[in-house]
Amino acid sequence: MKTENEPVHTAAKPKVAFFDFACCEGCQLQVANIGETLLDVLGAIDVVEFREVMSEKYDKDYDVVIIEGAITDHHAEERIKKIRARSKVLIAYGSCATTGGIPGMKNSFVLDEIRASVYGKDYKLFDSTPTRPIHQVVKVDYYIHGCPIYPPELIEVLKCALRGLPYTVPDNPVCSECKLNENVCMYERGVSCLGPWTKAGCNSWCVNNGNICYGCRGEVKNPAKNAATDLIAKYNLKPELIKNKFDMYNKCKEADTK
Amino acid sequence: MNYHILKKEELDGFIIKLAKKMKVCAPVARGHDNFAFEQVTTAGEIALNYIPTILPPKKYFMPPREKMLDFDISGGKPQDTATLEAEELAIFGVHTCDLAGIQCLNMVFSERPRDHNYLRRKEKIFIIGLECNTYCDTHASCALVGNHYPNGGYDLFFTDLGDKFIIHVGTQKGEELAEGMGLAKASHADMAALDKVRDGKKQAFQNEIGVDPKKLPGIFAKGVDSKVWHDLGEKCVSCGNCTNVCPTCYCFDMADTINLDMKTGSRNRTWDSCQFETFAAVAGGENFREERAHRQRHRFYRKFKYPLDKFYRAFCTGCGRCTRTCMAKINLKDTLKALAAESK
Repeated sequence: MKTENEPVHTAAKPKVAFFDFACCEGCQLQVANIGETLLDVLGAIDVVEFREVMSEKYDKDYDVVIIEGAITDHHAEERIKKIRARSKVLIAYGSCATTGGIPGMKNSFVLDEIRASVYGKDYKLFDSTPTRPIHQVVKVDYYIHGCPIYPPELIEVLKCALRGLPYTVPDNPVCSECKLNENVCMYERGVSCLGPWTKAGCNSWCVNNGNICYGCRGEVKNPAKNAATDLIAKYNLKPELIKNKFDMYNKCKEADTK
Repeated sequence: MNYHILKKEELDGFIIKLAKKMKVCAPVARGHDNFAFEQVTTAGEIALNYIPTILPPKKYFMPPREKMLDFDISGGKPQDTATLEAEELAIFGVHTCDLAGIQCLNMVFSERPRDHNYLRRKEKIFIIGLECNTYCDTHASCALVGNHYPNGGYDLFFTDLGDKFIIHVGTQKGEELAEGMGLAKASHADMAALDKVRDGKKQAFQNEIGVDPKKLPGIFAKGVDSKVWHDLGEKCVSCGNCTNVCPTCYCFDMADTINLDMKTGSRNRTWDSCQFETFAAVAGGENFREERAHRQRHRFYRKFKYPLDKFYRAFCTGCGRCTRTCMAKINLKDTLKALAAESK
């Protein structure tokens, strides 16, 4: 990637802000860690708010906001609505923001029970709502899935957003990329993997590094249900085990109206 | 008759010398009975006894991701420059099924409009075949399509004769390399030994599905509405593994990406798969092969029917990769048998 030779007129650069909600802030860390490419990114955008790397605040409207984290209480809901009202383009990034991610596991329990288990008998003092990914609260223009996000995809989405072009999240299973990387299939190793039902776009990052796919990018639009039952039977897997694996990142999907 | 001899203990020297001339790729063990073509510098790294690799050698002829051109839109008129990323390369140990696969791709990409990137890259690749004296495993169906014997498509071709390889020279380039390496000429005894290996294969390799291959076009012509396709559709995950690993699947997608300077960028092509739900989706929301069953049927017709009409050749090489790689255990041989049984 080329670095800008000519100086860029700062006024022309879009104002971009990063915000976080319920998450581990790991995706921000990914952004801060992209290395040299960061210089190219900073050549193309003007970062006006980013809690993890700067203390400045911005009081005008944003051209692009990049949102990490899930919405898990009333305060967060109000806050994201205010941010949305001030932004031209909203990018949800990281599983928590795009699918509900890890905080979404809360929805597997009765809300008051899980609150009591976390906060004790005075749990009512701590506001909590069922977890929602950003798009279940406000309009999302771009999605960057993943836990954490895959940096090359962040750059692709950013470029699309800056040029006003749509970005299409691949709707093929992770296997489609995994095979190109010539990984030995996890099922052949006797391990169950969520690759066959999870959206590609991460270049099978986890499997390349010897791990299974945890489904962090969310299910493909039309997952093969029959095939799943078939596979579970053929490889002697426990259906509950697979379901639990799915629920780790995909629990909030149930609230999506198709 | 142009045959040379290489003693097995001399193979390492052969590979080392070759690796000094150009990059050498050969099958390497990946564990769990999986193999992949990778760069090697010595014979020790090579798995001579391998079942077909995860991806076929087509990955060298049409890389999964390939840059086609650079563009620059900063001026009044957009500029573009075609690119070709290719290097001198020798692929060692290519089985006859994969040689057939490369021959199929050659036919496809030589059609007009010619695919110059493919054709120019191919010129840089030196192919060394390796004969299978026995079956790799039970998923192969090379005898059905006649690919268990060599049928050209190589520069040099190795056959294991026990303590040595007998090497057939297929091209001028192959001859130059064999001469340059000072390989001994094969004797009459060596030729007799080769004949014996080939004779043995007549017994070892038998039509794997018990259906005359000449009848397949007719069987497929009748089988469009077969229940077989519905059954495959029920099983299929649509992961695209079967097409990615197929030595003759060549469908690709093309997309432009811009650099962060927002002025320069590139056009890239990537492998695509007819098994993906989006493959036959078009503007307006229509999808011509929305059902998994239709997509699987399409794949089989693209191996056993359409290419026979167009190129007079089956585009299944019998390598068995699609069956091996399928998580849902969709089996090519069983599918053909079921289809043949139905048409009786």
